[in-house]
Amino acid sequence: MTLSEVTERISRKLEAKGAQPDRQKIESRLRRLVEEFGVNIDEAERTVTADLAREYNVTGVGSSSSELRPIREIAPGEWVTIEGKIVALTPPLSPSIAQTGIIADSSGAIRFVTWARGNPPAMEYGHWYRLESAVVDEYRGAPNLKIHSGTTISRMDEDAPLLPSITPIAELKPGVGSVRAKFIQEWEASHDRMLQTGLLGDETGTIKFVIWKEEGKDKLELDTVYNIYYATVDEYNGRLSLALNTAMYIPDEGDIEVGRAETEIRGALVHIAPGSGLIKRCPVEGCNRTLSRQNYCPVHEIQPEFRYDLRLKGVLDDGVRAHNVLMQREVVEALTGITLDEAVGIAETNPLGMDEIFYRIRNTVLGRYYTCSGNEFDGRLLVNSCTPIVFEPAELAALLNRAGGEPA
Amino acid sequence: MKPQSTFEREPARRVFASELRETRYQFKDGEDEKSPTYVILPTGIRSNRIFIVGTLTEKQRQGDQNIFYRGRVVDPTGTFFIMAGSYQPEAMQQLARIEPPAFVAVVGKPNLYTTPDGNCLVSVRVESISVVDRETRDLWVLDTARETLDRLDAFGTTEDSRKAQEEYGTQPDLYRKIVYDALSQVQL
Repeated sequence: MTLSEVTERISRKLEAKGAQPDRQKIESRLRRLVEEFGVNIDEAERTVTADLAREYNVTGVGSSSSELRPIREIAPGEWVTIEGKIVALTPPLSPSIAQTGIIADSSGAIRFVTWARGNPPAMEYGHWYRLESAVVDEYRGAPNLKIHSGTTISRMDEDAPLLPSITPIAELKPGVGSVRAKFIQEWEASHDRMLQTGLLGDETGTIKFVIWKEEGKDKLELDTVYNIYYATVDEYNGRLSLALNTAMYIPDEGDIEVGRAETEIRGALVHIAPGSGLIKRCPVEGCNRTLSRQNYCPVHEIQPEFRYDLRLKGVLDDGVRAHNVLMQREVVEALTGITLDEAVGIAETNPLGMDEIFYRIRNTVLGRYYTCSGNEFDGRLLVNSCTPIVFEPAELAALLNRAGGEPA
Repeated sequence: MKPQSTFEREPARRVFASELRETRYQFKDGEDEKSPTYVILPTGIRSNRIFIVGTLTEKQRQGDQNIFYRGRVVDPTGTFFIMAGSYQPEAMQQLARIEPPAFVAVVGKPNLYTTPDGNCLVSVRVESISVVDRETRDLWVLDTARETLDRLDAFGTTEDSRKAQEEYGTQPDLYRKIVYDALSQVQL
């Protein structure tokens, strides 16, 4: 950073506030601080900016904490001044917290917390506020704005329309995010407090979402595209999920071709696990569990009216890691050349019954090389496609070069 | 050391017969009865499971009370000795059904034995064995060449490879030569 760059920046800041500073004067003041007094350049910039701001009687420039910043650019560890609209208020988790929620400007949004100590004025949903000297820190991996007793909160008259910028799912980070996504899979709620959970997808990928039970919260409708503004992006065990309780979600026209951020693994199938092959599933709506040989479902007991299915649970090993893989019917049919109907026919006429299918599948695929691609979930790859690896002479040539290419 | 909830299956290392034959060092990772036993391969990685593809040239049924099968599996660099006993009934039945010669893929655990006259032998206790084709064999040679070269490239930088250097005095160039010779036997 040179003095003239800093000069330029300071004069622009002042000009933006209607002052006409003298560039030479700025530069000579900077030079004096840096060269004569050995002040570092950042500190010199701050000092000169603050001095001039006072001289020209303008506010909002000078020390970095009172300089207005776009929300998107603020980072943990900074003292900032922002102007934003309260787009969500959530129930505080502790009596020492007065308010929690999300504040947004046109550049982005951030979660905030207001401490009860210091008796801050309550902010209202949907209104704009100017927050001076708030602190950004990190809470559970996401930036969070702390509004403490030293923060000045002033309500603004402004009501500028605010259009949140949509983030592709693949680029979401912990914090706050707005997405345009389709509701593609509904999962069974795993908790009493859960209103709905499932999978949302856009062109770039998919993400799990949760809506917790709360007054006024509605469920999403399957296969519908939504604009979801200001959802909370949480990280757990390295995986992101969206909580929609802070969000506003509005159905949108059109459709989305959901992209799958697929994982691809090349390796050898070194293990075919029990439970592969032809299986029976519980016919009770929404159950679908695997039945035992005696047609017993762990939840719905004996189910003589089961339906058959084909699947393969196995281990694809690339020599460095052993990956669990799960293939559904279509993939197994394509891989083994046995259709579900044929498998049922074989099992019903063969003395080994369903075991015969397990052995046939195992003998066809065990110990062979495949490329599997699909979605990784809970340490298991749900395979969408599986193709045999073919021998490439070019690869042989490359390896020969690598083995012989180095000085012996 | 690792918590039980994050159990990860041991990967099956790719290793040529001539490297496995040189393996002498075995250790247990932890004090527990169930702690896994590893061998250190001369190119410098611990292994408690391997994946090999080669030609089953011979198999023999042995034992009266406790039946078990032995077999020889040949790759471009040498011979693996495999065995499957009644503790691995599935593997034993699979092996019993295969008539040599045949291309086979074997997943198994390497084991070290010392013979009464003091020789050290490495055998592979079969977990599963299946008949495959020539293309799978060729793919395995490429795969094993790549993995072996990767280990040689990292030689001296990992804890396991320093251990290998200490135990075997591994000469990386020798193993590069073995890889090169193995690859040369794959027909285009």
